[in-house]
Amino acid sequence: MAIVANPGTSRFILSSLLTGALLFIPSLVFAAASVPSADSVQLAWWIWMALLFIFTFLLGIIAVIAGVGGGVLFVPIVSSFFPFHLDFVRGAGLLVALSGALSAGAPLLRKGLANLKLALSMALIGSVSSIAGAMVGLAMPEKTVQLLLGLTIIFISFVMYRSKNSAYPDIRTPDALSSALRINGIYYDEQMKKEINWQIHRTPAGLLLFILIGFMAGMFGLGAGFANVPVFNLVLGAPLRVSVATSVFVLSINDTAAAWVYLHKGAVLPLIAVPSIAGMMLGTKIGAKLLTKIHTNLVRRIVIALLAVAGLRALLKGFGI
Amino acid sequence: MKDSVHADRVQLAYASVLGIASAVGMVLIVVGYLIYVFELLPSAASVSDVAAHWHLRASELHQTVPVPSGWDWTGDVLRGDVLSYASIIYLSAATIVCLAFIVPVLIGERDAIYTIITILQVCVLVFAAAGIVSGGH
Repeated sequence: MAIVANPGTSRFILSSLLTGALLFIPSLVFAAASVPSADSVQLAWWIWMALLFIFTFLLGIIAVIAGVGGGVLFVPIVSSFFPFHLDFVRGAGLLVALSGALSAGAPLLRKGLANLKLALSMALIGSVSSIAGAMVGLAMPEKTVQLLLGLTIIFISFVMYRSKNSAYPDIRTPDALSSALRINGIYYDEQMKKEINWQIHRTPAGLLLFILIGFMAGMFGLGAGFANVPVFNLVLGAPLRVSVATSVFVLSINDTAAAWVYLHKGAVLPLIAVPSIAGMMLGTKIGAKLLTKIHTNLVRRIVIALLAVAGLRALLKGFGI
Repeated sequence: MKDSVHADRVQLAYASVLGIASAVGMVLIVVGYLIYVFELLPSAASVSDVAAHWHLRASELHQTVPVPSGWDWTGDVLRGDVLSYASIIYLSAATIVCLAFIVPVLIGERDAIYTIITILQVCVLVFAAAGIVSGGH
């Protein structure tokens, strides 16, 4: 006799298993870290690497399903639960976000979803501030960075909780700067089965916000998709799909700029960065396949809660607690 | 509907280089890492040495363990740690290569504004890569 599972129930079970697995890894990491002998940490480097790979793999799955970039989850969570110094976690975080953006970029550009003109106009100023942010972040005392990271992550989780995107903003009159820069486009929307023409407004305000976003991305090693998308979508008025795709492209430029600062300051250890990149890439691919089978709202809520907890931990570390 | 209908020549040129560069990069970081952790080539510092000090600040770790940073590894490329590091350098240079590739395409399109923006963007990233604006040594 065939057993027919209720799709809603199976989606709920799959979501719960996934998030349960994600929460299990930090517990395991806590248990490993609480072993008192320093030698055990030295001897077990490969266990840390395996845990990091599994953890970032699960993080990659969750990130896609929750609709957030992996970079923003990586830094607060890995710095909370793994024994690596925040410098190396931030360096790895930038590379995780960068490699994700590089691998996703080509198809988005070919489809006309990512817009080169929109991205280049914002990234030029963003990349300069990203370099400045990275230099300031690496020069600051660790506790100050933890404190600011904690505040930023709690703010991000609040913004994620409250944010309401607009799929197709109706911008009737573009501003003078976006007209001069010819920032507009057309793409085929597979959901609506028609071509969408778009243009933007409030370009100067967008440029100012990208200075701030670039600075934060460089300072904390975060992929800044969480901030790029709302600015493109809600401030400039680009359609949501264009905003998400162009954000990936901007991220590849801004994170490249900041990554070089981390490389020159010696804050990139391949030992930590490569398993993180590999785990996140693999997880992202699996996550994209699971997207239709999972209860995305539940996962998103759990990710927001996880971010808030990681932010709180960073804040407490910043206060030396 | 054909994907490229809504993408101009410049975007398609960028996408073609990016597609190849990112695929090659992913292969390189995995191969470099395996050579490094399985010690198929010697490294200046063993993996366990690095792991014993990864709780230190970057500046402190570099005073204790000889690991590559910036461009200080270029004289000694046949080392496991250097190969793994070089693959990350490659990944960090991919965007610069893609942007430099579209400059002649933009010039061919007589797009003065975006030619200037792209050249400025390449300059910012090259300066960062060279350590000129990123505190390198």
